[in-house]
Amino acid sequence: MSMAPVSAAHRPRLLGEKERFMLLLIAPAALVLLSFEVVPILIGMNASFRDWSLVNPQKTWVGLRHYVEVFTDPVFLKIVLPNTFILMVSSVTLSLVFGLALAHLLKRQFFGRILIQTVVLLPLTIAPVITATMMRWSFNDQFGILTNLLAVIGVPQVGWLSERWPSFIIIILTDVWIWTPWFTIILLAALQGLPKEPYEAAQIDAASKWGIFTHVTLPLLRPVIAVCVLIRAIDAFRTFDQVWVLTGGGPARSTEVFSVYAYVEAFVNLDLGRGAAAAGAGAIIMLAVGLGLYAIVNRAMEVSR
Amino acid sequence: MSICKSLRLLAGLGLAAGLSALAPGAASAATDLTICYMNHPVQAANLAILEKWAKKQDINLTKTPMSYSIYLPKITQMLANNSTGQCDIIWHNDDWGQDWAQYLVSTDDIPEIKNVAEGQLEPFFNEKGQPTTVPMATTAGIFFYRTDLVSEAEVPKTWDDLVKVSQKLQKEGKVKWGYVGGMTFTNTFFSFWWSLWNNNCDVYAPAYERDNAVLSKNGWKPMTADACQVQTAEFWWDALHKNNISPPGMSTYSRDEANAIFQAGDAAFTVADSTLLGTYNDPKKSKAAGHVGMARFPQGPMSKEHRSWIDIWGWSIPKSVTPEKQKAAKALLGAMMTDYEGQIAQWEQTGGPPPNSKVWAMLDKSDPVWRQVKGILFDSAHVHDAYYFRNWAVVHKTYSDILIKAVTGAREDIPKVLTEGAPAIHQGAMR
Repeated sequence: MSMAPVSAAHRPRLLGEKERFMLLLIAPAALVLLSFEVVPILIGMNASFRDWSLVNPQKTWVGLRHYVEVFTDPVFLKIVLPNTFILMVSSVTLSLVFGLALAHLLKRQFFGRILIQTVVLLPLTIAPVITATMMRWSFNDQFGILTNLLAVIGVPQVGWLSERWPSFIIIILTDVWIWTPWFTIILLAALQGLPKEPYEAAQIDAASKWGIFTHVTLPLLRPVIAVCVLIRAIDAFRTFDQVWVLTGGGPARSTEVFSVYAYVEAFVNLDLGRGAAAAGAGAIIMLAVGLGLYAIVNRAMEVSR
Repeated sequence: MSICKSLRLLAGLGLAAGLSALAPGAASAATDLTICYMNHPVQAANLAILEKWAKKQDINLTKTPMSYSIYLPKITQMLANNSTGQCDIIWHNDDWGQDWAQYLVSTDDIPEIKNVAEGQLEPFFNEKGQPTTVPMATTAGIFFYRTDLVSEAEVPKTWDDLVKVSQKLQKEGKVKWGYVGGMTFTNTFFSFWWSLWNNNCDVYAPAYERDNAVLSKNGWKPMTADACQVQTAEFWWDALHKNNISPPGMSTYSRDEANAIFQAGDAAFTVADSTLLGTYNDPKKSKAAGHVGMARFPQGPMSKEHRSWIDIWGWSIPKSVTPEKQKAAKALLGAMMTDYEGQIAQWEQTGGPPPNSKVWAMLDKSDPVWRQVKGILFDSAHVHDAYYFRNWAVVHKTYSDILIKAVTGAREDIPKVLTEGAPAIHQGAMR
C-alpha cells in the first residue's frame, strides 16, 4: 500500500502558534541584547587577543599576552583588585544596613512620611556622574560646602581628595548615598508583604523589639536580602562614574578600581587590546565571585524555606 | 470621487512631490561641514572667524563641541575606522601629531601655512614631511600675576622669590594663596613641567631633545631620578606642606579648580595658557580683571636660562572626508589663515597669539601687550610640551602618577619614589 504524500498544509509545524507569538514578543528585546551586548562583548573579547591599538589597529594575534600582562601587573594585583573588593564589600554592606534602617522607619505611619520617602529616594533619580561631580565640589578644599561648614567650627582646610584613604572613603560614601535608596525601596516592599502571624506569636512570647527584628524579621527577609546583595555586588564590581569623576583613580592610582583600570588602558593609553583584556580579566574574576555569591543566595533560600 | 478628479489629485500630488524634490536640490548648492572641537576660549574665538568665512563661502558649518576627556579617544577611533559623516574638520594638538598624521590630508597647499614660529609644524608632519594641520593659535603657558598686589619689580624671578613674595602677601592678608596651578594628569604643564623645564631638566635625557633618533641612541634615559627632578618635586612638596603657598588639595586640581581660585581673587600667581588672558580680564568672570600681568617663569636653582613652551593648536581634515568637502574645508581654513583682522580680534579677545606670524609684525607696531607676550614666549629658549612617539600618553600619565605620589608622600621619600618610578618612564617609551 502506498502512502499518500502529506501536503504542506497538513505537515506538523515545528512551533505552535503560542510559541511563535512568544518568540515574536521577545524578538525586539533579543535583537537589542544581541546587537548591543552580545556582539560588542564578542568584539571586545576578540580585541583582547590582538595587538589592537586605537591609533593603529594592526589586529595581529598575540594570544594570551595581554592577559599575562594584566595578571602580572603589580598595580592590578596590589591596588586595583583590593580597592575593587573593598569598595564592593563596604558599599554593599553599608547600603544594606542604611537601607534596612530606612525601610523600617518608613514602614511606620507618621506625619510627613510620604515627603520623607520621596526625599530618601531622590539620590536614585540622579545620574551617578552628576552625584560624583556634586561630591567632588562639596569636598573641594577651597569652595566645598563641607570645607566651609568645618571652617565655621575652626577645622582647617583639608585636601580630602589628595590622600588615598580619605578620598577612597568619599568614593565609598558617595556610592552608599546613591544606592541606599535602592535597598530601601526593595526592603520596604518586602517588609510590607511579611505575614503578621509570626509577629503576633512573638508578641505573645513577650519578645523584645530587637529580638523580633533578629529572630523574625531578618530570617523572613533573608531571600530578598540575598538577591539584593547578589545584584548589587555584581553591579558594584563595575563601578566607574563615581571613581573617575571624584579622583580619576588618583592620587597616583591609589584609588583605581577595575573598571577605571580597563578604561585607562583602552582610552587614555589608547591600547584597546590591553583594555579589553583587563575587562576580560575582570569578567573572569566576577564570574567566580558571582558563582560563589549565587551559591550563598541559594543556601539562604533553602534555609528560609 | 470620479476618475477625473482622482487623476487630477494624483497629478497635483506628483507636481508637489516634484517641486519638493527640486527644493533641496536648490539648497544643496551650499556645502555642509561639521567641525569637532573643544569649547575653549581660543577655539571659540577662531570658530567665529571660520563662521564669518563660512557664510561668505556658502558653507553650512555645524559645530560639535566635545569635552577634553573624551576628545582624543573619540576622534582617534573615528580616524582609525575611516568613519565618514561625523567630523569634516577636527581640532588638532601637537601631542597627537604623530598618531594622527597617517589619517589626515596634507595642508601644505593652504595659503601662508608656513607662517609660524620655527619648528611648530614638525610635530604634525606626515611621512612625506608635509604638514597635516592649519594653525589656529599658538598655545603657550605663561606666568600670570596680580598687578594690584605685586609691582613689576617685585615679580618673582626665582623659586625662592616666589615663596618669599607669596608668604609676604599671605602674611599681610592680601591674598589667601601665593601660587595655584593644575597638577593632575594632562594639567602637568601648570605646575611640574614649567618648573622642571626651568630647572635645566626634562623627562628624558638629553634635556629638551625631541628627536626620537637621538633619544633612542641615548637609550631613552629618564631624568626622573636626577637632582634637578628631585629639586622640582621638593619645591612642590614644600609649596603644599611646608611653605603653604599653595592650597593643600592642589595635587587634585585640574586647570578648572586652579582657574576658579585665581579668578576668585584668592591667589597672586598662576601659570596657564596665555589664551586665558581674556577670561582672567573679563569682569563678569574674574575678580582679578584689570589687574592681570604676565612675566617669565621663576627659575629653579639649576636653571641656565628661561625656557617656554610654544606649540600650536590647529584644524585638520580627515582623509575619509569626500574630496568636495576637503576642498571646501581647505578654502575655509585658508580664508582664516589670511584673515589678519580676524586674527587680531582673536588675540585681543583671548590672548592667544595669532596663527599667522605675518600678523605678529602688525601687532609689533601697535600693541604693547603683544610685544610683552612675544618677548616672554618667543624671545626665549624653547621646549616642545610633548614627546612624539606612540606611547607618549602612557608616559605622560606614568610621569604624572610618580610626581603626585612624590608630593603627597613623605618629603624624605621623594628621591626613593622618583628612583623607583624611573624604570616605568624608560619602559613607557619601549612599550
